[in-house]
Amino acid sequence: MRKYLSLLYFSLFVTTISQAQVDRSKAPAPGPAPEIKIGEYQSFTLPNGLKVFVVENDKLPSVSFSLTLDREPIMEGDKAGYVAIAGLMLAHGTTSRSKAQLDEEIDFIGASLNTSPTGIFASSLSRHKEKLLELMTDVLFNPAFPPDEFDKIVKQTKSALAANKEDPGAIMSDVRSVLLYGKDHPYGELTTESTVDNLTVDDCKTYYQKYFKPNIGYLAVVGDISFNQSKTLITKYFGGWQKGAVDKPAYEIPNPPDQTFVALVDRPGAVQSVLSITYPVVLKPGEPDVIRARLLNQILGGSFSSRLMQNLREDKGYTYGARSSLSSDELVGSFAASANVRNEVTDSAVHEFLYELKKMRDDGAQEQELKSAKAYIIGSFARSLEQPQTIANFAINTARYNLPEDYYQNYLKNLEMVTIDDIRSMAEKYIKPDNAYIIAVGKAQDIAEKLERFGRVKYYNIYGEHYDPTQAKLPDGLTAAQVIDNYIMALGGKDNLAKVNTLKTTMKATAMGQEMEIIDIRAKGMRSRKELLAGGNPFSQAISNGEDAVVIQMGQKSTLDEKTKEEQIITNALFPELQYEKLGVTINLAGTDKIEGNDVYTLEVTLPSGGKFTEYFDARSGLKLRYVKTLETPQGSLTQTIDFADYKEVEGILFPHSFSQRVGPQNITGVVSNVEVNGDVDENAFKVE
Amino acid sequence: MIKKVCLLSFFLVSYGLIFGQRKPIAFTEYTLNNGLHVILHQDNSTPIVAVTIMYHVGSKNEDPKRTGFAHFFEHLLFEGSENIKRGQFDKYITNAGGANNANTTNDRTFYYEVLPSNQLELGLWLESERLLHAKIDQTGVETQREVVKEEKRQRYDNQPYGTILPEILKRAYTVHPYRWSTIGSLDHLNAATLEEFMDFYKTFYVPENAVLSIAGDLDIEETKRLVEKYFGDIPRGGKTIPRPAVVEPPKTREVRDVVFDKIQLPAVIQAYHMPAQGTEDSYALDMLSTLLSGGESARLNRALIDEQQKALFVGSFPFASEDPGLYLTFGIANMGVNVDELEKAMNSEIEQVQNELISEREFQKIRNQIENDFVSSNSTVAGIAESLADYHMYFGDANLINTEIERYMQVTREDIRRVAKKYLQPTNRVVLHYLPESAKNKPNSAELENEN
Repeated sequence: MRKYLSLLYFSLFVTTISQAQVDRSKAPAPGPAPEIKIGEYQSFTLPNGLKVFVVENDKLPSVSFSLTLDREPIMEGDKAGYVAIAGLMLAHGTTSRSKAQLDEEIDFIGASLNTSPTGIFASSLSRHKEKLLELMTDVLFNPAFPPDEFDKIVKQTKSALAANKEDPGAIMSDVRSVLLYGKDHPYGELTTESTVDNLTVDDCKTYYQKYFKPNIGYLAVVGDISFNQSKTLITKYFGGWQKGAVDKPAYEIPNPPDQTFVALVDRPGAVQSVLSITYPVVLKPGEPDVIRARLLNQILGGSFSSRLMQNLREDKGYTYGARSSLSSDELVGSFAASANVRNEVTDSAVHEFLYELKKMRDDGAQEQELKSAKAYIIGSFARSLEQPQTIANFAINTARYNLPEDYYQNYLKNLEMVTIDDIRSMAEKYIKPDNAYIIAVGKAQDIAEKLERFGRVKYYNIYGEHYDPTQAKLPDGLTAAQVIDNYIMALGGKDNLAKVNTLKTTMKATAMGQEMEIIDIRAKGMRSRKELLAGGNPFSQAISNGEDAVVIQMGQKSTLDEKTKEEQIITNALFPELQYEKLGVTINLAGTDKIEGNDVYTLEVTLPSGGKFTEYFDARSGLKLRYVKTLETPQGSLTQTIDFADYKEVEGILFPHSFSQRVGPQNITGVVSNVEVNGDVDENAFKVE
Repeated sequence: MIKKVCLLSFFLVSYGLIFGQRKPIAFTEYTLNNGLHVILHQDNSTPIVAVTIMYHVGSKNEDPKRTGFAHFFEHLLFEGSENIKRGQFDKYITNAGGANNANTTNDRTFYYEVLPSNQLELGLWLESERLLHAKIDQTGVETQREVVKEEKRQRYDNQPYGTILPEILKRAYTVHPYRWSTIGSLDHLNAATLEEFMDFYKTFYVPENAVLSIAGDLDIEETKRLVEKYFGDIPRGGKTIPRPAVVEPPKTREVRDVVFDKIQLPAVIQAYHMPAQGTEDSYALDMLSTLLSGGESARLNRALIDEQQKALFVGSFPFASEDPGLYLTFGIANMGVNVDELEKAMNSEIEQVQNELISEREFQKIRNQIENDFVSSNSTVAGIAESLADYHMYFGDANLINTEIERYMQVTREDIRRVAKKYLQPTNRVVLHYLPESAKNKPNSAELENEN
């Protein structure tokens, strides 16, 4: 009896609790899953090829018209930027409306209208739809490309480029594009001040005429408008658009790096490093891998509860957010794992990123993680359907990427079918910690050394160009003329050099195992004779008389063009640097470099007839260390490099006593055996006849 | 008879214009015994539901020696509760296919999750746990302290122009707690003890200081039952909730300063004191900002970007808030344009609005723009839930979600000129010139400083 009583008591007690209190100890079970239905759309194609998709939705009294052009990416080369500017120019004036009039009419109906190189988006309250279409099609069919508006956009583009130079996110995005795709790929091109300078308004016009064609267009009509009304209006406004052929260029697929390395962009004052571990990925829209790879990325770093965020933020507190993305693209997609982290933990953060990537590649994922990832994506899919635009986007993607008609209808079903083994094979295929760029935009002084453990650390500027950080910067205010003055001073001073009337230098040289002798004679009046003797016999001579020049090889005279003559006369002259100005030679201080560990200033020398070469002067001693010239030969261009070393004093002037010359595969090294200043020289030596 | 019909249709048309033809947003609201205000909006078109909770606490409720607390809580309250293990809060939501986040302003803190509609109860459980007994411990505090420091570096210190708001606020306010920004001081967060965090939680995270707003694919009666189940037995906090009573004294003279930042293009920021949100003048100022910078044809955009090409970007933003806020005008100079020149051009546009009544056509334009914005806002259930909570919390009238447009439509052209004159006065403002660090040692920047 007592037993019964206590049982009874117990059950009463339990009932009381459940009525008065909630069981808070565990999460409530969900109700039956609601059906996720993709809303309806209707479509039609105009005779000119424009494909139109209509999604009726009267929840809000507004409507949008969104035109997308499906064209291949474009290489812009040294005109990078014209495509983007062409897109903007559409809304900067039509043949009947100035930009100001256009703006006013758009704003007057409370509408928005944006143009891009690949389309136009316009929206307004549905009662203004006819006016909106009138403005949209005016912009589409009658852009005027006013030159003053073009100049204005160019100016704004330059200002925006300047502003971006201090934005670490923008720097990351630029450097990442260049590294991932290369400068010879449309995705790797950067718009810079210098490419913008090359643009003309005609580039924009040509772009517009070439690509704004209905047969590559998709128009989404979404909102408070009926299908029949859409059809009438779209036919009325877009029916007259003329179709035309649009080319489809092909591009090479960029490769990931052979070996992971660190690409460092130095921002000396940075308090955080912007990090991205990234590489190109070949994954095309609609491929079966796309859904599986999305799940893979979801588990790794697609959302707040993914591994990267949990590790780097919630566990370590290194960052405000760590995420990854794995994107598909018709040409080439990419993987990126990214975060902004403080300087002190930059290397630790990279370590955790790589740890997570390797773990994913080697061990795959757990069942529970896959389940969560599926739930997350199903949820996002359902939430995205709240916007009627999504339905139009699905329809356009289906047409554009040639997806099966039921691709999106079956999307969730296909998602559900992905297994843990699929994730493992996706990880093996797409997660490449050993073939990645580790890009860090941050304070090199604090982070560079610590990043060396992940691979070679290479420095890049904000344009994604590699440079050597140990190289000195040009001192403020240094000019090309000063570099020449310093050189003349270093040789022995102007006055000493001016006293030299003749100069004869004898050198012993070795080329491909053969002993040779070179006799180099120079005299005032731009006269010179350079003779090469092999086995005591003359092999070749280069002679200038101050006005004319010849080259004789094995007794045969070669004819020289005017440019080559001038070059021989000037470069073989006695201290030509003293007379650069008089001769009309222009010099440009191009920057700094390093030669065998020494900082050098780089001087570009241009002769009056356009001949060019580069010379390198030691930053400390002022002496000339190298001469470099590009030779155009029937076999293509070759680089000629002459190094000067072992400067020794003769009659108060320093002369190099050893040299080496490289032309293509050929090497000549030599030492000076004798330098004779103001000795007797036979006048006949300079005869060109 | 014909006359009458005409009048009637005219009346209908104008009525339609004012209300933008949008279907009214229906909602149910009530208050639980513990003071928690509940607002429910049913929309079954997509099988999702937004569960949101707004706490009437922001950075203005903070102790001046403990700034950043309100925002820090937005981080801390994802750490877990008595029944939710550390790190599991988000997992419950993502595993259910939901999305969630939170944000903090100077006046309120807002948490939300958007879930598949069969997971409504999960959302209620999670939010009730957060309100009833969130876990506030040393591990969570230390981790989130690091995260918030990174957030500050990312959003403010390592971002060009990122420090504008804190730099403006500390000069615009002398006594009111709007003088610090929501991110607050990292030193304060470092110095705070666990007890102080607990105390903040017990003071502000109480049902009588919150609005639970739910919108989406739900059944009103069933939702009411579930709300009662999870929130009904949460006790009132009972403490007096500190609300700043301090009033910022009117400004009598312009404050002007230079800030050097890692930027390439200089910028001008002017911050004028303005009345609190919901006042007649604040609606007029809103319309003034549409006139000045709402679209490409707006006054500042057209004059400074298009005609004079002095600016790369211009904008004017009324930061309407519960206590009197700030009206900001902002311009980034085009390359090679001097800041003084840019500021002069901005001022001349403002002076024009102060001196000349705007045309009927331009007035109609900004009314149309305001109408379009009002009608197109609230296109998602999460947005509707937040707006309903906002309107209730600040004005005690959630139905403003349908009717606030009338307040805009009452503003006249004369009102716009009047508020421009009244508030956009030099003596009522702070002006900052943001200059590149490279300009620091150049004589022209020194001159600029001397002008002040």
